[in-house]
Amino acid sequence: MDWSVIYDYRELFIRGIIYTVLLTAVATVCGTFLGLFISLGKMSSKRILRWTCSIYVELFRGTPMLVQILLIHFAVIPSIWGILYPGANSPEAIYSGFVALSLNAAAYMAEIFRAGIQSIDPGQMEAARSLGMNKGLAMRQIILPQAFTRMLPAIGNEFIALLKDSSLLAVIATPELNYAAMNVAKSTLERYPPYLTEAAVYLVLTLFLSRVVVRGLEKKYSTR
Amino acid sequence: MRIGTNWFKSLALVVGVGVLLAGCGSGGQQTSGSGGASGGSGDKVYVVGTDAAYPPFQMLEADKISGHDIDVMNAIAEAGGFKIEWKNTGWDPLFDGLDKGTVDIGISSITITEKRKEKYDFSDSYFEANQLILVAEDSPVTKLADLKGKKIGVQAATTGEEVVKKAFGDTYEGLKGYDDMPSSVDDFFNGRVDAVIGDNGVLSYYVNKVKDKKFKLIKDDSFEKEFYGMIVKKGNTDAMNKINEGLKKIKENGKLQEIYNQYFDNK
Repeated sequence: MDWSVIYDYRELFIRGIIYTVLLTAVATVCGTFLGLFISLGKMSSKRILRWTCSIYVELFRGTPMLVQILLIHFAVIPSIWGILYPGANSPEAIYSGFVALSLNAAAYMAEIFRAGIQSIDPGQMEAARSLGMNKGLAMRQIILPQAFTRMLPAIGNEFIALLKDSSLLAVIATPELNYAAMNVAKSTLERYPPYLTEAAVYLVLTLFLSRVVVRGLEKKYSTR
Repeated sequence: MRIGTNWFKSLALVVGVGVLLAGCGSGGQQTSGSGGASGGSGDKVYVVGTDAAYPPFQMLEADKISGHDIDVMNAIAEAGGFKIEWKNTGWDPLFDGLDKGTVDIGISSITITEKRKEKYDFSDSYFEANQLILVAEDSPVTKLADLKGKKIGVQAATTGEEVVKKAFGDTYEGLKGYDDMPSSVDDFFNGRVDAVIGDNGVLSYYVNKVKDKKFKLIKDDSFEKEFYGMIVKKGNTDAMNKINEGLKKIKENGKLQEIYNQYFDNK
């Protein structure tokens, strides 16, 4: 066991940590926005919209993340690029990573939102409507703020799941943390140092997320 | 959800689908390529590991492993009089399997390097390889040094990656190490990397595969010549001697050349 390889390849690890955090953060934000609209779509009165959103959610929740990444990176994005900008280069792996993670997160977030919104007593909506609010306003002012506090733990879990799932992006050579560790392990034939280092970093990140970020938000928005 | 008829229905559905799939899939047995000739010493069957994602050296066709290396190893086993059993392990688990003893012999276009020799024993070489650079047809690149600052795709932990690291540093930002060669070539044609560096055998094979695409292969004379060898756990002289004996035989009787011609003739 030669731990010096970690120091030799520190640049790779540092770059990996930055990309992992960046990917997770951006995908969470995009996924939350997309997920909100998809959940509203799922609860809409228009059948087409309802079905489209339901199919979307089922697709992304019912297939392995790894398959989604490969499909998006090697098939979907190059084809779309080929149609939009013939002859141009497809965007890099990091871009495919953002897309795959965000779309995947959106499906899970949609279900979290739906559960959160449906957990609010229908009387709240009725009361808001009888005060003369229209549906959208009541949703924004009355339902979502209450639902949001209830959803925070679940959102926190999704955040952490995303962080861990981002490690799958190593297969398309996205320079994230797991790619760094795998690359070092393969090049140096050292096994424990790179993988243990990587595991420790993920652990620190997830602990930080669950203890600091999610707890902090829960405190801030708690109704009690 | 009420547990009752619904539950039973879905269980029945899952079982039904499972049985159907199993029915369709029977006969799709996992590979175990034809072993070597029987007879010879003892009945020990040597497990040969490979990463069948490196055409034309080793590839998966439908349900069996095939390719140049596969034919070579089978011929060696036949000439050396020992039995082998194939296992498609993948690249990394191959080395792991050698360490753990679940794999006896590795043959997977493994270049004989000093670094690898520290951990494993190599047989004599059965193939001479050199690195080639795959670039766009109109690219001004003529040698490795011209790729400085550009994105280069390689298969991680191969000699292709090593030459890039040697030239531009271990943590060169433009270096993209893929799990397998086809992925890096894919991304080259998608324009995600500016060049791919890999062994001549594999890249030449692609030249023949994708005739409609525009690219060229460049040879950089600064690359050292490479030799592929079979790999065993350090100190496994029993397997090593048998391999070298068989290899010597097929070199002498022209069988090795015959296999080479079958895959790389007039290319």
